[in-house]
Parts: sequence; structure tokens; C-alpha cells
Amino acid sequence: MCHSRKSGNPEKRNWIPHQVRNDRQKIIMEKILLKNIENPDSADINEYINVGGYKNLSKAFEYQPKDVIEEVKKSGLRGRGGAGFPTGMKWSFADADPKFPKYLVCNADEGEPGTFKDRPILEKNPHLLIEGLIISGYAIRAEYGYIYLRGEYPYAKEVLNRAIRQAYEKNYLGDNVLGKNIKFHLAVYQGAGAYICGEETALIESLEGKKGQPRIKPPFPVNVGAWGMPTIVNNVETLSNVPYIIEAGAVAYSQIGSKDCPGPKLYCISGCVEKPGVYELPMGISLRNIIYTHAGGIKDGKKLKAVIPGGISTSVLPADKIDCPMDFVSMPKHGSMLGSGAVIVMDESVCMVKVTYRALKFFEHESCGKCVPCREGTEWLRKILERIEQGMGREGDIELLSDVSETISGRTFCPLGDGAAGVVIGMLKHFRHEFEEHIKNAKCIFS
Amino acid sequence: MITININEKEIRLDKPVTVLEAARTAGIKIPTLCAHELLEAYGGCRLCVVEVERMLKLQTACTLIAADGMVIRTKSEAISNARRSILEFLLINHPLDCPVCDKAGECELQDLVNKYGATAGRFKEEKRKVPESHEDRIFTRNMERCVLCTRCVRMCNDVQGASAINIVGRGGRSRMEPFSPTSFNCEYCGNCLTVCPVGAILSRPHLHSLRPWQIDKEVETICPYCGVGCSFVVQVRDESIKRVIPRFGFGLNNGLLCSRGRFGYEVTGSQERIKVPLVRIDGKLHQSTWDYALNLIADKLKDIRDTHGGSAIAGIASPRCTNEDNYVFQKFMRMACKTNNIDSISRIGFASAQRYFEDLLGQGITANIILGLKNSDIILVLGGDPTAVNPILGLSIRAAARNGTKIAVIGNAKGLERFKTLRIVPDIFKEAEVLEYLLTEIFRAKGLRGEKPALDRKIEGLSGKSLKIDIAGLAELKDVLLSGGSVSIVLGMDVVHRSRGHRILFAVAGITYLLEARLYLLSESSNEQGLIDMGCVPDMLPGGRPLVVGDFKKRFETVWKGTIPEKGGLTLMEIIEATKDKKIKVLYVMGENPVFNLPNTSYVKEALKSLDFLVVQDIFLTETAELADVVLPASGWSEKDGTYTNLERRIQLLRKAVNTPSSADDWRTISEISSKMGYEMHYPRAEDIMEEIATVSPLYKDLTYDEIEKGNCLWPYNGEPLRGVVSEIPAAEETFREYKEGLYLAPEKILFHSGTLSRRALALRKICPEPTLKIGTNHAEKLGLKEGDNVSVSTAQGSINVQVSIDTAIKDNKVLLGNNFEGRGVFSLLNYEIDPITKVPGIEGCEVTIEKI
Amino acid sequence: MFKETILKEIDDIKARYPDPKSALLPTLYIAQREFGWLSHEAMHVVAQSLNLPEAMVRGTASFYTMFKHKPMGRHLIQLCTNVSCMILGAERLVDFLKNRYSLEPNITTTDRRFSLVIMECIGACDRGPAMLVNTDFHDSLTEERIEEILEKYK
Ligand SMILES: Cc1cc2nc3c(=O)[nH]c(=O)nc-3n(C[C@H](O)[C@H](O)[C@H](O)COP(=O)(O)O)c2cc1C
Ligand code: SF4
Ligand code: FES
Repeated sequence: MCHSRKSGNPEKRNWIPHQVRNDRQKIIMEKILLKNIENPDSADINEYINVGGYKNLSKAFEYQPKDVIEEVKKSGLRGRGGAGFPTGMKWSFADADPKFPKYLVCNADEGEPGTFKDRPILEKNPHLLIEGLIISGYAIRAEYGYIYLRGEYPYAKEVLNRAIRQAYEKNYLGDNVLGKNIKFHLAVYQGAGAYICGEETALIESLEGKKGQPRIKPPFPVNVGAWGMPTIVNNVETLSNVPYIIEAGAVAYSQIGSKDCPGPKLYCISGCVEKPGVYELPMGISLRNIIYTHAGGIKDGKKLKAVIPGGISTSVLPADKIDCPMDFVSMPKHGSMLGSGAVIVMDESVCMVKVTYRALKFFEHESCGKCVPCREGTEWLRKILERIEQGMGREGDIELLSDVSETISGRTFCPLGDGAAGVVIGMLKHFRHEFEEHIKNAKCIFS
Repeated sequence: MITININEKEIRLDKPVTVLEAARTAGIKIPTLCAHELLEAYGGCRLCVVEVERMLKLQTACTLIAADGMVIRTKSEAISNARRSILEFLLINHPLDCPVCDKAGECELQDLVNKYGATAGRFKEEKRKVPESHEDRIFTRNMERCVLCTRCVRMCNDVQGASAINIVGRGGRSRMEPFSPTSFNCEYCGNCLTVCPVGAILSRPHLHSLRPWQIDKEVETICPYCGVGCSFVVQVRDESIKRVIPRFGFGLNNGLLCSRGRFGYEVTGSQERIKVPLVRIDGKLHQSTWDYALNLIADKLKDIRDTHGGSAIAGIASPRCTNEDNYVFQKFMRMACKTNNIDSISRIGFASAQRYFEDLLGQGITANIILGLKNSDIILVLGGDPTAVNPILGLSIRAAARNGTKIAVIGNAKGLERFKTLRIVPDIFKEAEVLEYLLTEIFRAKGLRGEKPALDRKIEGLSGKSLKIDIAGLAELKDVLLSGGSVSIVLGMDVVHRSRGHRILFAVAGITYLLEARLYLLSESSNEQGLIDMGCVPDMLPGGRPLVVGDFKKRFETVWKGTIPEKGGLTLMEIIEATKDKKIKVLYVMGENPVFNLPNTSYVKEALKSLDFLVVQDIFLTETAELADVVLPASGWSEKDGTYTNLERRIQLLRKAVNTPSSADDWRTISEISSKMGYEMHYPRAEDIMEEIATVSPLYKDLTYDEIEKGNCLWPYNGEPLRGVVSEIPAAEETFREYKEGLYLAPEKILFHSGTLSRRALALRKICPEPTLKIGTNHAEKLGLKEGDNVSVSTAQGSINVQVSIDTAIKDNKVLLGNNFEGRGVFSLLNYEIDPITKVPGIEGCEVTIEKI
Repeated sequence: MFKETILKEIDDIKARYPDPKSALLPTLYIAQREFGWLSHEAMHVVAQSLNLPEAMVRGTASFYTMFKHKPMGRHLIQLCTNVSCMILGAERLVDFLKNRYSLEPNITTTDRRFSLVIMECIGACDRGPAMLVNTDFHDSLTEERIEEILEKYK
């Protein structure tokens, strides 16, 4: 049974049972991450304070840093950037490294196509993120935080810079935060159009003023990160969860969402649905529920064909596979991944070859060029796909596509190349017939 | 202790290294492409994959650090498949133009595909097109052949530190380019060439000139250009050197080269070589025979010696000749000609500086290992740019900087601009004041060491003076020096050839002493140290044994079977002046070009013209040779066996690489003349000379070629430093010169040239075809000069026309000009004044006027 | 070299990071603002002001697609055609821009009014197709809306 209710009691609200069912019940959840964003001035510090903002900061300062880490560990929070790594554990790694200074970096690169979940936080609720950053910085004893913001979000940059200025004015940031002898400084670093800079080590390189090419791991950023120092990289949404964990406590927090992956999640739905947008829903809600109950179903009464559930790098799911709970643990069991929670919905009129081709064009464009299989493989795949889409497919192309993607898979330097190969592999697995028909008919069957 | 298992073989490691390295030490080969022993791990090519137990995916051996208990396999079906597919990927955009590619035969990609690749490709699409680039003077770029391993870029950035090239673009659109798409405009070290596994970067001088399998022989030898003495291999075909390639894992350069070493080898193969002896008849040089020429010389020398005494004869030895040449030369001068008037161009810097430091601090004070620079906490650089004078030593400084060593520069050192921690620019020619200030401050902070009384006394005396200097950064420099870390001082000769250079040397000696610093002297020529060791100085016998100590002298006399003249000889400029005064009547010059390389060239020329008899032994008809009465052909660096001693006192073997029938070893020619004069010298081979040196020189005691071959011979070899320190430090009367607002001329050391030799190396002339006058931005603006303007540069000595080059690193009112191009050397514009203590010709302070033409 | 005020701006940026090299991307943005695009001269100036090798500056700048290596029109249109936008018809809009304004990807119109760059996702997928004109977001694009919007950019 999946019930949820709106409740004023922080201990009880917003929970759904851990065994998620694939029903269609609408879940009405009190907004945690997107609280107050309907307010046109939500980005202003006073509005944020009015709805209880920055309260959790003083509360957090009453804990020892280690205890904050413990609390986050207990809460079960997992990183929302895509990999779902337990946040508290990551922090304790950095905490255990004796080197100082340590740095906290917020990953606001949001480059995964289909993803726009961090944008409402950045543009409408920046102080939630800043509060989250200060608390997290306190926990890992970092005195400097950086928000690595993608270059494509110029408006968010303005909002963040204003919010940071306000936070400095109110002494939430600075050398002596809230007079507690705690130092925390924050600055925005603007990326410049490179998807790979979302990958944490590439992001760090970029933050250091270099090309965003991934680094060899290990050492991991928690030990050797920005400027050679222990560095925590966390996603915007991840950090925005932290104030609430302090507010409600780890136990209450862990009641939200699914057992292994608790908490609220921002799902962003785009494509052929009636009501695309960002939805804040409990972790583990089913894909079907998101699409049909919240996003209003398929547009224009058409039939659902396929869903890319977690951003373009995650494997496609055909229409009959959407009863899976959307969280980090369940999705892999269903043949895909939660990724960034970016749901791209495709109806019967969408050509899967074209989608694959467009995706590979993206990967080819974004490959950083460091490793051979990704650099050469994505280009090769794109060229074959382009041909097939244009009606110039040849016999053996499908085998070649499959072979080349298998060759890329597992051999690239970073997950970008794997993602690219995964897209082709997934598409061929579920929609091979469309590729075959393209080749047979020597044209795109949808245009 | 870490134990791992590769292919069932147990390997023990005492520190965590990569699996690739572990395999290499165990003799297990793993194919690689982006990995290179001189570069950090990169992990881009993915060729080095291995299987590791309990790890899901294949792992790259070059990035995986071996952990205790790892079980690794380097061969399996999965691994072969992975390698094959990587090679397939690499070939899809490769032009497969091996038949016309210079790299064929030594191409790593070709070899890898041969061994691990598939026989047919499946890529049917169009390949990427990138136009070839031939615009640069030295390098060609073919980015279709490039495999984007980035070795060249990593070499250029992380090792060479020139950072002149980079990958431009991203993903499949990546390509290597210099900043300017047409010209590399870099240090032209060519180390990128060395590491490029394919034919993507090639050198134009070698383009289509040979195939690797056409090489007749490869000879391991050392570079003739500077006092570092890099090891490399010359490739010879048809008795001519076709290429210089690096030698990894050997020598202190470990495979790295500079532009001169890599591209300057053509010198000896030049068409302009002197092939037969020339004798002056009726004012003109005519071709002659060896017999005639040698007899003529012997007779003349004998005659002068017997009528005017040995003191009417003088000899100039060469820091470019081998130890064997120089040893025989001074022995000939002393024993056959009966004179101690022996000196060399090194007097202008290295020999004088070293002598001064050894007098104060003890023999061997500058014997410090170049590679040890990396272990310093602080490196103080003054008197020149190490990256231009001794490029490979310069790389050690850059490497140190990358590791966190503080680099403090006094004056100009362009090649360290991006590596320095701080830099101070003293007022023009006021280095002495700055150094004395530092010395007294260090003395105040640390007190005396009390080991060398004469030095202690003088430092104390100095501190009485009140020194007020106000220069930006000086206080910080003082703090850095006093911060307690280990200090190395790298001294270039620009502050030595000063009319009061001894003041600077004293201050440097004092600082070295108080801070227990390591001292390095930059050395422009390949055998400056060896030249001194061999006794080519007026008052020292081989091994740095003072002539005045009777015991020493007697010992040499026993071995040499004769008497050595008592009286010390004249130093270089004194010889020239005595020539002018007709006190010296015969001058014997071996491998040197004083008319070009000494200040006030017109004066030097006049002096040499007034000689009764001038003998020049050289490979080219130099400006000096043109004045000679007899010119004898010599052998060049690649034509003889012998040894050089580098600036850290490493004795290294020079090997004969080519046979040039017209060449003649300097030592052999001299021995013959000597014998004709009645002092018999017979050495069948160069090695036999070293055998004698090893018996007489305490520093080279017991040394043999076999030992030297191993590469680790540093003197004192089996002996000890002998010479103690002086008990009284001579001082000269202080003369102060006020420098006005004007511009002053100073010699520049050019990376691509080293003087008379390099101007015959075509490749080097391509890199740097014209002399340029370097001027700081401010002064260029004031004079309305732009890059490339033609100007006339005039001093009281004369005037020459050159192009202007604006150098942002020059912050003071100096203008720099090199001494490398015929007819337009800086020395022709400089006058000199001899430092009374070091006898160095001081050449600073020539005011210049610059006019646009 | 940059003007004093800009050097000051760069100094302020440098001060935010433990290593001044971090100021490279921000300084490239500044140079782009000042020069309009990253000419060799602009990159040379950046290299000088940060004491970085020119080739490194160029290499880094060329890695990021938002740095422009040729002159741009007065208004930069960045249109997303990634999957979500594509599904909603972004490709039609590319054709429209070509037919209506002679504007093609990576091309500047002859009157220098517009330049067009095709973007990977710009994070407006729910209201695609979407574009940025200079720094303004415009979404739910149709042919008519594009025409209407571009009217405002002269
Ligand atoms: C190719 C690639 C792109 C990525 N892009 C993003 C991104 O845009 N935003 C993000 O937060 N994480 C991204 N990540 C994940 C980050 O590497 C990293 O896991 C994350 O920032 C960690 O934060 P979290 O623990 O809070 O999720 C990306 C990873 C890869 C491999
Ligand atoms: S997989 Fe390789 S080429 Fe692709 S982005 Fe990662 S490191 Fe770069
Ligand atoms: S796919 Fe177009 S904005 Fe995201």
C-alpha cells in the first residue's frame, strides 16, 4: 500500500512504505527541496528565513562536526548526482584524511540531457543549497566551498551570486559564521560548456582552471581532490537534503522513500507527457506512477513506446517495463539506472534510431578525447547510426553497432564512454526491429 | 614489502609501483602507447589492459598501483580482444600512409598492430581530415597520424616546461598544436619528437632523409655543446651523422636533449671544414703539406724559445677540446716551449670563478651533482639563465620548482619566468651591493661558521659597512634564504665578467659558506672543467696543483722528464696585451677564436697582427685563423675519442663516430710538433694519454676508459681534493662607477647557439637565423621600437645592424646581444677592464645608442 | 594588456582560489566579454595577465564549447536539439532559422545580427524546444514564437 498524507508532524509526514507498489495513487508530499518556490521572491534570503530557513544552521552548529556526519550517515542519504553513493560515508572518508585544508564542491553542472532538476533549486531556492553547503562544510571541516555551475545557466549564476552576497551580509558566510568562530566561504565557478565536467574529477580539473578531463582514480577526491587536498563533491540536490536531515533528524528522514534509498527525490519529466516538469516525490515511486499519475500521462492520447528513466546515459526501458521503483537500488535490477532521475518519455511516433543517433551525437560531441574507445568509438557509432537513420544502412551494421558498443563498454577511462555504449546496447536490446526496418526500407520509418 | 603475482610469477616490490612498472622490472612485457618512462601515468590509450583477480573489469596496468596479494594476468582471450579493438579504433582515423611516413620502421603503432592487431578493419566511413602543417622551421605536424596519446604535450608541459604545445579541441576533434598554428616558436628541444610514438611530429631537417634500417652504425657519445655533457646516440650512415637520438636510462639527461644537442650535430660534416694545412706566403694563406707546416712551426717555436725564451711564447687552449688534447697542449707548452703562458677563453668566466671559490672554500666546492638540484628547498639563480646556458641543468631547476622548491632569481632568467617564486632586479650592475647586503644580513642572523678564518674575518669586516638598499622583493629574498631549507646557488657568468667581479664572487662565496649551500657554476662549453683539470691555466699543473709548490712541480718533472719553467704565466687578456706590446712573439691557438670571442675584438685583432708568428689549429677558417701564419686542420667532436669533464666533474667518454680522412687529432699534431722540437711525445691512442693523466693527476688517479664508460666517474676519482684554502683574501681598491640613465649592452647566451660552432649547424640557424637585440618593453616603447625593427647598435667600440626583439622579461636598462653570428658578435662592441683579483676581463658598462634604420 | 580595472577584477577572482590558475576560466569569460571572442590576441592577453603559457590557455579555452574562437554576431542564439527537445520538434526550428534568417549552425548572419550554435541540453527539457539568446532563456518554442522573440534582438 502506498499512502502518503500531508501532515504537520515532521516525524510522520511524507513517508511511503518501503515496499513500493506500482499503483497509480497520487502522492501528495510536503515539499522539502522545492518548498516555497511558488513564491515569486523565494530566492530572497528574507523569504527563505520567513519559512524557517537558516534555522537548521544554528542547530547543526550545536552538534560536533563528526556528529553531523553520523546523522547524515544514519539518514541513509545517497548522492543525487547519479551514482547514488552514500553521502555520509563519503564525508567520513574525507574526514578521516588528516590533510588540511579540505574543500567542499557543489556539483551544479547538471549536464545530463533530460535533466533539469537542480535548476529550480539554483534559481528559486538558492538559500536551501547554501544552508546545505554551510552545514556540510561544517561537518567535513571545510572552510571553502565552491559551486561549480554549468555555463548554460546564466540566470542561476546571477541568483546564486546575489544569494551568496545576502548570506555574507547576514553573516551566514564569512570568517565567523553566526559568531560561532566557524569559517566558511563560498564562490560560484562557472563552467563553459562541457558535459564531462559533471564527472567529479573532471570537475575538479576544471575548477583548477584546466581542461575538464577525468583524473586517474584512485586517489579519490576525498583524499586528493581540488588542489591536491581532500575534497567532497556533492550534487546540488544532495546538499539541499542536508538541512532537512538536521531539522527532522535522521530517523524521520529515513522514513521517507524507499528503505535502501530514503528521502525525497526530484524527478524531471520531459518528452511526450501532458505535464512535463520537476516533481518532488519520495524515492522509490514507480516510473508508471510518475508518468501517469503525476505527469498526466502521454500527450495527445498517444501510446507510450519507451522511457529513458534517468537521463540519456541510462538504458532505455520499453513501455511494458515501467513498473519499476525509481531508486538507486531497484533500477539496476530492472535493467537500467536511476541516474539523475531525468525521465524522458517517448510515444509511438518517436523514432528510436533517431533518438539513438542523437544521443550518440551528444556523446561524440562531449567525449573529452582522453581515452581511445570513447573518442573513436562514439564517433564510429554516430557515423553508423547517422547512415542508418538516413536510409543508408548496410547489412551487418547492427552487428557492427553491437560489437563496437560492446568493445567500448567497460574499457573507457570514465563512465561517459560506458554510458554511450550502454545507450546503443539498450536500444538494440529492446528496439532492434526498428533498426532492422530502417536498414531494410533504406529510410527512416517515422518520417 | 608488497608481493604480487603476474602470470604465475611472484614479484616482490619494496614500494607501491604501477603494475606496468612491476611487470617491467620482472621482464614481463605489456604493450603500451600513452605510457612513457619519463612521463606520469595517463591511462588514455587503454592498451595495457590486464586481468586482475577479484576485479570485474580489465584494468589498465599503467594506472593500477600494485597492492599486496594482487594476482594479475597479462595474457588472455579477453585481453587480446581488448587490445585488438583498441588498435582497430586507433586505425579508423589513421591515414595508413606508412610507405611515405618517415616513422615507418620505428613506429610504435605499426609494431603494435603487427603484433596485436587485426588483419582487416571494419571501418567504412570517411576518415577525419586534418591538413598537414609544414610551416614551422623545424617541426612538421601530421595530425591524421596522431594517436592522441598526449605524450608530446605532457613532455612539453611536465618535463621540458616549455608548455609550447597543447591539445586543441575536444574529443575526436582534438589535435596537437602550438599556440600559433604555424610556428612552434618554442625551445626546439625536440623532446616531443622523442616521445611521439608515430609519425605525427617529425623534424624537417630529417624529413625523407633516411629510414631507420639504413643506419650503418650507432655510436654512444656525449654532446659537444655545453658543460652538462648529455649522453646520446649518433646514427651514422656513409660516414656522416644522420641523426642524434636520445639514450634513455643513461647519463644525467636520461633521454632528454636540448636544441643544440639534438640539431647541432651537422657542424663537423660542414663543407667549410679546413682540409689541409695552410701556410701564409706573401701575406696570403696557401695550401701546404703537413710535413712542411709542422716543420715550419717547430722551427719557428724553437727559434723564438732559444732566442727570446719561453716567455715570448703563449698558448690558448680550448674548452671544446678533450682532456687528452688539453693535457698534451699544456705539456707541450710547458715542456717543449718552456712557458707557462697558457690560458683559455674560460678565463672570462668559469675558470676565474672556480679558482676564486676554490681559493676561499676549498677544492671541489663546485662539485655538486646536477640531479641533486631537485633536492634543494631553495635555489638561488643569478648571473644568467640556466635554461639557455645549460638547458638540461635548467630542466632540473624547473623540475624542482614543480616539486615545491622555491626558485629565487636575481636579474634576468627568462626560461624561469613561470617557475620562479620570486625575482629581484638590482639596479644596473649593482648585483654586488645586493649580494653584500644579503651576506651581511645572513651573517647577522646566523653568525659565523668559524671554519675558514680568512673568510670569517672578511665577512665580519664587510658587515661593518652600512648597506642601504631598497629593491622590491629583497627583504623577502632574505627571509627565504634564511628560512632554514637547503640552498643551492646557481651562478651564471654574467656577474663574473665584471671589472669588480671579485666582489660578487666574494659575496656568493660568503653566502655559500654561511648557508652551507651547494654551488653550481654554469658552464658554456663542453670541457671547461676538464680544461682546468688538465692544467691549461698559467699557474696550475694538472689536478689543480699550484706551480709554486716545489714538491708538486718536481713530481711532474719526473714523469714528464724535463723541467717546468718556474715563473707563472700570463692570463688570457694579459697574453693579448703582451702580444700587443710585442713581449709575446708567438701565439699558438688550439680550437679557439679569440678575435671573435674576446671583448674589444678590434684591439685583439690588432694585437694578433703584431705577432711574429701565429699558429691556429681549428676545424674552420675562423676570424682568428684568417690572421694565422699557419693553420692546421683539426678533428671535430664526432671524429675523435677522448673525454670531457662536465661542470659537476663527471668524466665522460666521447667516441669517434665518423671517419673524416682530412681530420687530425689535436693531441697528435701537437705531439708531433713537440717531438720535432726535441721534446718527444708519443701516444698511440687517446686512451694512452688518459693513462698518463691517471698517473700524474691526483684528481684522475687510476681512472681508465673502462671505468669511465660506466658513466659514474666523478672526480676526485680514487683521490682527494688537495688544495686547501687561502689564508688571506686579496682585495682590490674599490672603484665606483656611476651608471647613468642610459642603456647598457650585455652579452646574451642564446639557447640555440653557442658561438663559432653552432653557426655552422644549419638546423640551428633555421631556428635562430639572425642576431637580435633584446630590449625590455619599457625602453622599446621609449625608443619607439617594435618587434623586428632594424636598428644600428653603437658603442665607443663600433656599430652593427641587427633586428630588435622585445623581451618582456627584461626589466632593467640592459640590452642583450649574442655572440653567435659572424660579423655581428656582441664582443665587437664591448670594451673591457681587467679585474685585478680574478683577471677576468670585465665587460659591463658599455653604453649603447640604438637608432632605428 | 587588460585595462587596470579589469586587472583588478581578475585579481579579485584569483584571491578566491588557493591557486591563481583557477582564474583561467573566469578570465577567459572576461576576455570574451571584452574582445567579443577569443582571438589569438585575446588569449595572449589572458596568458600574460595570469602568467600562464599561451598554448595552455588556448588548449584549455578550446576544450569548452562556450568559448568562441571566431567573431560572433551581436546576438548569440543557442538552440538545444538534444533528445527531449528533438522529440518536441527542435530540428524543425533549425530548418526554420535557416530558411527565415539564413542562419546555420556555427554561422553568423552577414549583417552580424545573429550567430547560431546548436546546444546539447540546456536544462529546459520540460518546456522544449528551448534556446538561450545571449543570456535569456526562451522555451516552448515554435516557429512563430521564435520570430516574435527574435524581433526583440536587433
Ligand atoms: C560523465 C558524467 C557526468 C556527470 N554529470 C554530473 C552532473 O552533471 N551533476 C552531478 O551532480 N553529478 C554528475 N556526475 C556524477 C559525479 O561524478 C559525482 O558522482 C557526483 O557529483 C557526486 O555527488 P553526489 O554524491 O551528491 O551524487 C556525472 C558523472 C559522470 C561520469
Ligand atoms: S570515457 Fe574517456 S574520452 Fe570519454 S569522457 Fe571519459 S575519459 Fe574522456
Ligand atoms: S533536451 Fe533540450 S533542454 Fe533538455
